Amino acid sequence: MSYCVNCGVELEASLKNCPLCHTPVINPNELNKKLPPSPYPTAKGQVEVVKRKDLGILISVVLTATSVTCLLLNLLVFNSHLWSLVVIGSCLCLFVFSFPAIFYSKTPIYLSLLADGVSVAVYLFLITFLTDSDIWFWQLGLPVIIILTVYAESFPLLSRFFPATVLSCALYLFIEIPAFCVALELLIRRITNHPYQITWSAVVLTVCVIIDFALITILAKKRLRNEVRRRLHF
Amino acid sequence: MKNTSHQNKTNQIPKQANRSRKDVWYKLDLSAIVYPTLQRRDFSSVYRLSVVLKEAIDPALLQQALDKVLPRFPTYKVAIRKGLFWRYLEPNNRPGPYVKEDIKNPCMPMHFKGNNRYLIRVYYYGCRIALEAHHSLGDGTGGMCLLQTLTAAYLGLSGHPVKPEGFVLDIHTEPDPEELEDAYMRYANAQVCPPRPAEKTYRVRGTKEPFYTLNIIDGILSVKEVMSVARKYNASLTEYLNSVLLYALLQKQSNDFHIRLKPVRIAMPVNLRRFFPSKTLRNFITMVYPFVDPRLGEYTFEEIVRHVHNYMRYYINEKFLRGDITTNASTQRNPFIRVVPLFIKDFVVRTFYTKVQDKNSSAGLTNMGALHVPEDMKPYIERFDIYMGQPFSSRTNCAIISFEDILTVNFASSIVEADVERYFFRKLVQDGIHVKIESNRNLDMM
Repeated sequence: MSYCVNCGVELEASLKNCPLCHTPVINPNELNKKLPPSPYPTAKGQVEVVKRKDLGILISVVLTATSVTCLLLNLLVFNSHLWSLVVIGSCLCLFVFSFPAIFYSKTPIYLSLLADGVSVAVYLFLITFLTDSDIWFWQLGLPVIIILTVYAESFPLLSRFFPATVLSCALYLFIEIPAFCVALELLIRRITNHPYQITWSAVVLTVCVIIDFALITILAKKRLRNEVRRRLHF
Repeated sequence: MKNTSHQNKTNQIPKQANRSRKDVWYKLDLSAIVYPTLQRRDFSSVYRLSVVLKEAIDPALLQQALDKVLPRFPTYKVAIRKGLFWRYLEPNNRPGPYVKEDIKNPCMPMHFKGNNRYLIRVYYYGCRIALEAHHSLGDGTGGMCLLQTLTAAYLGLSGHPVKPEGFVLDIHTEPDPEELEDAYMRYANAQVCPPRPAEKTYRVRGTKEPFYTLNIIDGILSVKEVMSVARKYNASLTEYLNSVLLYALLQKQSNDFHIRLKPVRIAMPVNLRRFFPSKTLRNFITMVYPFVDPRLGEYTFEEIVRHVHNYMRYYINEKFLRGDITTNASTQRNPFIRVVPLFIKDFVVRTFYTKVQDKNSSAGLTNMGALHVPEDMKPYIERFDIYMGQPFSSRTNCAIISFEDILTVNFASSIVEADVERYFFRKLVQDGIHVKIESNRNLDMM
């Protein structure tokens, strides 16, 4: 029978520390005595994954029916443009986006993000059939999607190696935003045959660099980090 | 008029019971409407009741007992469904629920479509049988009926027959229609709707634990000791423990960083069956909010006890409680609210709860009181435990239950810090009460 020297409460025999104040329980007469098992289980439970079979079937049927009916309508009735490609492309995107949430929740995040990027690229490619030229797709649309997909992939990758706290996620975001803006401006200048230089993206870059330095300082100083966590906890 | 219309409704229940199983369904009771709305990926309104027997549990026998007992509780053998305007319960004839070995993180979220759509879980561990139920099915009294009937059936199967009495229901009889009723509607007939308290109170701040970790600290005390100390303060046991919790919260607030002090308020469910006769196994509770306002000056412990004592005497009586039920029922009865689609109701209720109701109290405290079990069952029972479940926000919930001379105070929280619990139990120790602590906290990590 052990008592906490700080709280004065008797502690259950399996406890090594007082749960109220974390003071270690040391009985000099029983240093080598093996502690009895805890009255509480040690195995942690997991919430059962809910299969959304019905919703999956419903979404697949609705999207397929929409695509097929629009294609038929386009081929047989309103056949001046290939407008059904827009509908088919958006149905494809919706299906791919909802796949990990509804059909197979164990899809690796990298694979599902890659599939999302590919589906958006396919969608934009289908739109090129409705436009006079496809230069915008090859020179702007596709590079932007590739950059965004790489950025999106880097988030889970970074959170695997570095702590995924709100502050560190904010840091990643504020690094990626200016990089994206610079790339976007350069791509726009390339397509419009302007010389390569940064203007508006430089403003974004400057603001984000200031925020990055502030975040790095907060992350580096434990005291500051705790202060921010305390003030901003939700 | 209201009474007559209600009588008509209750008269329909036996007819409903005679209908084919497919036609039977149950409206959610007045309290139960709120709980599914608050459902999140990481939160469900789940409470836990457990009984510690004097011998190890045989899981096969427990499963047999559960299969025998559950049909006697039709409002617990249900699944929850969404209608256009309200949710409802429908009988669930899927296989299960199955008893499982207990886990470290009790009261974990309960997805409505998981667990074969059952909204109860039964666990065993060593000598303990634990029942977890979603609050939309019923309150602690209903849950206790199920747990005690299950325990009695289990003891019966293991060769110790128990005669049905009190919380132990006869599983060979048909359910009484009154057990299935929404008792709120029978008594929500005051002529005025008193306003609800709505003031921002002190909120315990702390470091959130990872996804659905529930930290438990149990204090085991002697009923006689606590009663004698409470008597010294001229208070009842509930009033005394309420005061200790308020005292602990006041200490926590004054020791933590604060710009200005805020009132400290406890949300305490009151069992309405004590005032309004009903056999219902569904929710039949209302909340009272004993409080202390430190902005008025520093309170001594004796003053807190006196304040709580007077508050309880003033508010916990048939008249005030009837008014409170009527206020709650008036929203549900409003025809304009009734026709609003469910998803809008969900949004409004969730917003109201998050912005107002949840901020209305600093902690939760429930007292199931002294439990009585049939005489045949007594020799096999060590003690009972009750957990209010995971709190909606970062705070501590405290639940109290007593059996014979053992009083257990069960704290459940989802934050790392155990300051409120520490102040609470230290005060009890200061008052000369012997406290034994048990916990599931992983203290090696600290």
